[in-house]
Amino acid sequence: MSLRSPLGKVLGQGSAKDGVHHWWVQRLSSVALVPLTVWFVVSLLSLPAIDHATITAWIGQLWSAVFLILLVITGAWHSQLGVRVVVEDYVHGHGSKALTLALVTFFHVVVAAAGVLAILKVALGGAR
Amino acid sequence: MADFRLPANSRIRKGNTHRAPAGALALRTFRIYRFDPTSGENPRVDTFELDITGCGPMVLDALIQIKGSIDSSLTFRRSCREGICGSCAMNIDGLNRLACTTAMEDLGRGDIHIYPLPHMPVVKDLVPDLTNFYAQYASVKPWLVTHTPPPPDRERLQSKAEQEKIDRPAACILCACCSTACPSYWWNSDRFLGPAALLAAYRWIIDSRDEATGERLDALEDPFRLYRCHTIMNCTDVCPKDLNPAKAIAEIKRMLVERTS
Repeated sequence: MSLRSPLGKVLGQGSAKDGVHHWWVQRLSSVALVPLTVWFVVSLLSLPAIDHATITAWIGQLWSAVFLILLVITGAWHSQLGVRVVVEDYVHGHGSKALTLALVTFFHVVVAAAGVLAILKVALGGAR
Repeated sequence: MADFRLPANSRIRKGNTHRAPAGALALRTFRIYRFDPTSGENPRVDTFELDITGCGPMVLDALIQIKGSIDSSLTFRRSCREGICGSCAMNIDGLNRLACTTAMEDLGRGDIHIYPLPHMPVVKDLVPDLTNFYAQYASVKPWLVTHTPPPPDRERLQSKAEQEKIDRPAACILCACCSTACPSYWWNSDRFLGPAALLAAYRWIIDSRDEATGERLDALEDPFRLYRCHTIMNCTDVCPKDLNPAKAIAEIKRMLVERTS
């Protein structure tokens, strides 16, 4: 039980002076994902065949590799921003929240790094 | 973590049934949430059969009738009975609304379910504890803040267009229907200000006479105070005054982005 005044509780530690950047980048990345996703789906559907040789050859083309890398980075970034909000909404303990947020960030960085490396490897001819 | 079940002492048990006397002409059945903090018992839902012959048309009229003729311990807030004081906000058939402006006829023919505003501590029966809600309203400084001294011979002037901007947002009656309909407010009402307080903040942010716009925006720029709003828009759906808190919040977010570039 606390005897702190209701207004004191609401004012709390004050404004974090943060959140605009997160909100704006989330909007910006969602806008960027629209053409990237459309391009990805249309490109896959217009391939003559969906087999290993065709796909690797497609990834080997310069612009395919560029857009694929952008899709992976933008997708991971957007997802990280979104999952962060979900965690902040539902995980309330300070310790468990900080830990979950750290794990969420690491997970997205690993996914993005692995995705980019995989694309580069195929595009630059390192993989067979 | 978020709670998915009510705490053990909040779970609702079966309540009492008050049958209407034989020969009732027009019967309506009400299922009303009851909680008495002095009894030490869990809340219950009581069933009241009411003959609405001679009763007014609104849900509030029926509640007053029940209190007057069946169970005088039924507790609820009411005052103006014309939708301007905001006292009788409650959850009627699943939606937050004012009992005084909700006609029984518009609720269909079935039982009428009445609960207090959702996810608030209950003082008794249909009376929620709005202490935190009012503190959040106070925290946005709902008054004119200026540096320029007022003109000595008259009031601070506004153009007609400037006044019209605050017309609608200023019509809020603080009934709390919007905030208590918002899932973000349910999960984080300790840090998220909620649609009502944010609408009030917006009303002062866009007031042409106010000179603290920047400080007001500073105070809201926070992942929880403002950005817990995920544009679910229950607030705008339920507002009994047809106001648009969701749009006000979107406008605040727009202003915050605009001032960065």
